[in-house]
Order: sequence, then structure tokens, then C-alpha cells
Amino acid sequence: MIRISKRRGQDIAYGAIGIAAFLGLWEYIGVNQLAGLTWPPLTAVLAFLFDPSRQTLFVRATSASFSMVGAGYVAGGVLGIVLAAVAHLVSPLKEGLGRLSSVIHSIPSIALAPLFIVLLSKEWSGMAIATLNVYFILFIATQSGLAAATRAHHDVFTVLGSNRFTRLIRLEAPAALPAIVSGLKYAVPAAFIGAIIGEWFGATRGLGLLMVSAMQNFQIPLLWSAVLITSAGSLMSFGLMSLVERFVYARYR
Amino acid sequence: MPGILKTAFNRYWGVLLILVLWQAWVTIGELNAIVMPQPADVVVDLVGNPGIYLKNGVQTLALAGGGLLLGMAFGSLIAIACWFSRLATGMLVPLAMIFSSVPVVALIPVVARLLGYDIKTVMAIVVIVSFFPAFVFTSAGMRALPPGSEDLFQVLGASRKSRFRHLVLPAAVPNWMIALRLAAPSAVLSAMLAEFLMGQSGLGYMFRAAAGDFATERAFGTSVIATAVSVITFTLSQRAERAVNERWR
Amino acid sequence: MSGGTSILLDHVGKDFEMDDGRKVVAVEDVRLEIGAGEFVALIGPSGCGKSTLLRMLAALEQPSRGRVTVDGEAPEELSRNHRLGVAFQDHALLPWLSVEANVELPFRIASRAVDHARIAELIALVGLKGFEKARPSQLSGGMRQRVSIARALVLRPDVLLLDEPFGALDAVTRRQMNLELQRIWQEQHISTLLVTHSVDEALFLSDRVVVMSGRPGNILKEVSVPFGRPRDPEVMRSGEFHRLEDELTEALEQPGVAA
Repeated sequence: MIRISKRRGQDIAYGAIGIAAFLGLWEYIGVNQLAGLTWPPLTAVLAFLFDPSRQTLFVRATSASFSMVGAGYVAGGVLGIVLAAVAHLVSPLKEGLGRLSSVIHSIPSIALAPLFIVLLSKEWSGMAIATLNVYFILFIATQSGLAAATRAHHDVFTVLGSNRFTRLIRLEAPAALPAIVSGLKYAVPAAFIGAIIGEWFGATRGLGLLMVSAMQNFQIPLLWSAVLITSAGSLMSFGLMSLVERFVYARYR
Repeated sequence: MPGILKTAFNRYWGVLLILVLWQAWVTIGELNAIVMPQPADVVVDLVGNPGIYLKNGVQTLALAGGGLLLGMAFGSLIAIACWFSRLATGMLVPLAMIFSSVPVVALIPVVARLLGYDIKTVMAIVVIVSFFPAFVFTSAGMRALPPGSEDLFQVLGASRKSRFRHLVLPAAVPNWMIALRLAAPSAVLSAMLAEFLMGQSGLGYMFRAAAGDFATERAFGTSVIATAVSVITFTLSQRAERAVNERWR
Repeated sequence: MSGGTSILLDHVGKDFEMDDGRKVVAVEDVRLEIGAGEFVALIGPSGCGKSTLLRMLAALEQPSRGRVTVDGEAPEELSRNHRLGVAFQDHALLPWLSVEANVELPFRIASRAVDHARIAELIALVGLKGFEKARPSQLSGGMRQRVSIARALVLRPDVLLLDEPFGALDAVTRRQMNLELQRIWQEQHISTLLVTHSVDEALFLSDRVVVMSGRPGNILKEVSVPFGRPRDPEVMRSGEFHRLEDELTEALEQPGVAA
């Protein structure tokens, strides 16, 4: 049996009280209309959200948005990890790739939207912005991860006469794994933000579109529902990555 | 001179490559000017209409900067208040962590509806976005004390007040600077997104207006100014962080 | 200040509860007296509870059994009145303060007027003149410990507690620091408890060496150090020193001692 220490138990209890208080406050403000009609009670939002008649609407919007998020997450992740590995292996390319990444990062994604709309199409700009957001986080995480192996470990490999490839596979990659997984965790909300922003720039489907049109048409429960779905999706993926992170940290650090 | 050129190329070949690809795409794809402006047209629009760019750029910069500082102040004040109560910390930290793992920009439409289409709303959104990193990092910083320092303060008979003033508060400063650096780009971005969605004024509004008028050179010009505003904010916060770290660690 | 303060650990014991609920006896039953102005060194294998004894004296831990008194008062009284000086193995300097400001810190904590002459005197005493404005990150390990010792002494405490202050230093630096500590201590005989695992450090610095056994911690042996003060490093080459060193090392190596 796993015993939870007293302190940890207290932390969990306090956290639960905090979340319950937040949800309770949300409900209370909504029921008593303390913030006006635009703040609905939590139960009203949930009832709206789970109403069978709106199932198709939400499923369609959610699958459109989440597939953009997922595609951007995978594309950005692969691009970030691969390019960081390339920068690590081919030193002449290192600085140029680093600068390019930080230049791209310093452009706010809203400023890239016109470009994406021109080059791609309105439908894909969500994925493109998600890709860029995720790319930068993973490029940086992988880069610092690949530098994480200690001098002593490198010396062992040198003394044993290891070649570059063996060193990467047997030493640097496992040493980089914790940083990469942490990067993947923090990239989750970034991917969601990217996809939503992209959809605001004129997509014809998705939760981002739902938010904007609900905002403009005073469809308050619809607006809150779309925000709730997006937040829940991000939170759950983040939680999942936290579990993976915990496993990797226990195994590789 | 060739040495400098070589260094510059080593550093910026990636950026150069992107520009070449862009140009190639325009040329090969034979995109017309309405879809894809020539860089020269963008420059002409920027130079020809400095007033509109300046006015909106300054407004966005001021909203983002002001909201950033206000949100940081709020976040750290609440974190400080929580330091005195374990219950309050225990209740608020998990909530704040939940909020930092969801896309906070998705709250923009909600806040816009709650507070109305107004400049105050832009400010409120930036404050909310900056609040969470400030709270989370300041809380963590007030708990990451130098090794042995807590024992030392107890042995020296420090009161709670003097422990707070001489140990806890200064220990949180580097973390506060990290929060500032992390919050700065999202402050600028969320200010522009709010302006974009509500469509009243500011750089975000300019994107919207330009898109509506098919004025692509205006849209790209706005991108240039938006990037400048973002870079200014980010660079300033990064400089501040470095200066403080030099003094603090 | 040579009057000093007398300390009594009266049959103290300390138990710890582990996360899985087991109880570990760190210190079983220890009676230790430190006379006014006496320098006592506590040696023993790691985990024998010697640091726990020091922490009880510093009011950082409460004894599970027995009582700690300093001149008849509880140690909490002592720390509340800012009459304790302490140096730990990790120097516990505040990284954002200069050397000077770190030494100044006890004045600030005690809300007393800062005695700048005293600070300058102590910085000179520990050999850091010219480094007043330096930051801890710019100093070597030995220099940081000097600052930490200056800070321990700045308020002229009644009791000085040294918890492996030189444990992280290399052998040469450590020996040098021992010489300096004895010189500094010579200037004001404060009742002192030094926790260390180095036999010759204990012998060179203290009036009395107390050997503790491993878990559960108990006192195994006490040895009075016969050398007069001030002590010359030559003392470490004397036959008497080597005899005592062997005696103490042997006591540490008894089967029951190892933790």
C-alpha cells in the first residue's frame, strides 16, 4: 500500500478545496447574475453543452479544431526535435538555425496570420500557427536537452572510442529525453492557442469560429461552452503529458 | 570586412533562406499584388502613413505594457498575501496552474462580452494573461530559498516580518523577472488579439480593417509594426532580467 | 567575553518518524555539558545524530526526551534574543548581498543599529579585507566560509554553533581555516559546539572531544585535550597529538560505531 505523506495529503485537500471554491463561485455569480447576463452559471453551461440536440454542432467544431491542434502539435514537434538534432550534429548550421528560430518566435503569431492566409488558405492557418508555436518550444527544449549530458559521461564515451552516432543514440538522446518531454508538455497550451488564433482569422469551422460568432451574436452559453471545451481539451492533454513527464523523469534522470 | 560578412551569413542564413523561398513562391506562383504585396509596396505604405501606424502602435504598446505591469503587480501581491497563509497558497496554486495550462487567449471573447467592447477590456485581458505567470513564479520563488538560509534565520531569531523582508522577498526577485520575460510576449499578443476581435482601434484592429479592405500592403505593414512592438517589449524584459540576475545571483 | 555561558543537554533523545510511519531513534540518551567559555567538538560517523544534537541546541529541533538549557534558559530564548551564532556546512550566504551586507545581516534581523566598525574589524579578522563589495558567487569555497564565520560572530553571541563548517573544503584549505578559526576564537572565548567528522580538526580546535556512536546515537567516549592555547600547528606533529588521534580513531572504528 502506498502511504501518502501528511503534507502531500494536505496539499491535495487544499487544492481540491480551491477548485471547488472556484467552481462554486462561478455558479454563485451566474445564478445571482452578479456579473450581468453574460456570466451564466456553470450548470447552465454544462446543460447547454450536453444537450443532445447540439451534439453534432459541438462534435464537428471540436473535431475540426482538435485535428488542427493535433496536426500542428505533431508537425511542430517533429520539426523542432529534428532541426535541433541537425543543429547539434552539424555545427556550421547551429547558429543560423538558432537565429532563425528566435526571429520567428519574436514575430507575434497574429502578425503571421496575413502571410499564412495568403500562402496557405484560411483553413490551414490554425495548424500553421500551432506548428510554429510548438516548433519553437521543442527546438529550444531539445537543444538544451542535447547539451545536458555531463562532461564525465562524454569523457567515458571518448575513452571507449565511441563514434558520433553511437554517442547520440546511447548518451545524448537519453539525456535529452526529460527536457524534450517537458517541452512537449508546455507545447500543449501553445498548440491550442495557435489553432484558436488561426481559426479567428477566418476559418469556416472549429471552436475558434464558434467563439467569435457566439461573441458577436450574444449567444452566451454557446460562447462559454466553446471556451470550456477548448480549456478541457488543453487541460487533459497537459495532464497526460505531465504523467508521461513523471515517468520519463523517474526513468531517465 | 569579409570576416564580418561570413559571421553574418553563419548567423542569418536561415532567415535569408526564408526570404528567398518567399520571393521564389511569389515569382513562381505568379501571385498578384492583391494577394501578395511586394516588399516595396509595404515600405511605401509604412512611410506614407506614419500617423496611423504610430497612433495604433503606441496605443497597443501602452495597453500591453500597462496591462503587463498591472497584472504582474496583482499576481505578485496575491502571491505575497498567500505567503502568510498556507491554506490560501494551497487553494490558489493548483488553480493558477490549471489556468496556465489552458489557452488563456480563449477567454478574450468571454471577457469582451462581460466588460463590453472597450479599451478597458483590452487592458483587462492583458492583466489576466500576465497575472498567472506572476502569481505562479513569485509563489515558487518565495519558496525556493538559498540552502540553509531558513535555519540561519531561525537561529538568528528573525521575526516573521524580518524573514519576509530580508529573505523571502529578495529570494523571489529572479523568479519575478522570469515571469516578466515570459509574460511580455503574451501580453503584446493578447492585446492585439483583443483589438482584433473587438475591432475598435490599435494594431489588432488594423489587421482586421486591412483584411476587410483587401489592403494587403497595410496588413503586412501592420505585421512589421506588430513585430517591432513585440520585439521591443521582449527585449526590454530580457534586458531587465539579465541586469537583475547579474546583481542577484 | 571570556565569562561565557554554560550549556546542558540533559539526557536528551530524538526520534524521527519516517514517511512510511516507522520510527527511527536518531539520538537515544545523551548527557553533555559545555562549560562557560569551553570549546567542545563532537565527532562520530555520518548519521550518528551529532548534527541533530547541534540542531536541538540551536532550537531548530525539539528533543523527544530530556531538556536542553543554556544558563538555565531554553535555547529558544537565546535565539529570540539574538544571542546565538551559527555556521553551517553550506555557507548559507544570501547570494544577492555583498560580503559586507551578509555580515551585516544579523544586525538587521535583530533590528539593531549596524556597527560598521565591528563589521570592518571582523572582515579583517577573517582575512577578507578588500572583498567587502564582492558577492558570494565571486568567492572561493574557503572565502565563503570565512564570511559565514564572520557573520556568526558579528553580534558577539553567547554560544557559537559550528556544523561541519569546513566539511566541503579541500584538506589544505581546511587546515588553514582551522588555524584561523582558533586565532579568531582566541580573541573571545565563546562557549562553542563544533560538529565534525575530522579527528584532527576536533583535536586541534577543542578543549574536549566527544565521540558519538552510530544509530541510535549515544556518547561513547570523552577525551580532554591537554594542549595549552594558543596552539601552534606544530602541536599536530607531537607524539601526544598522534596518540590521542589514534585513540579517537580507534573509538570511531569500534564495531558498534559504524552507522
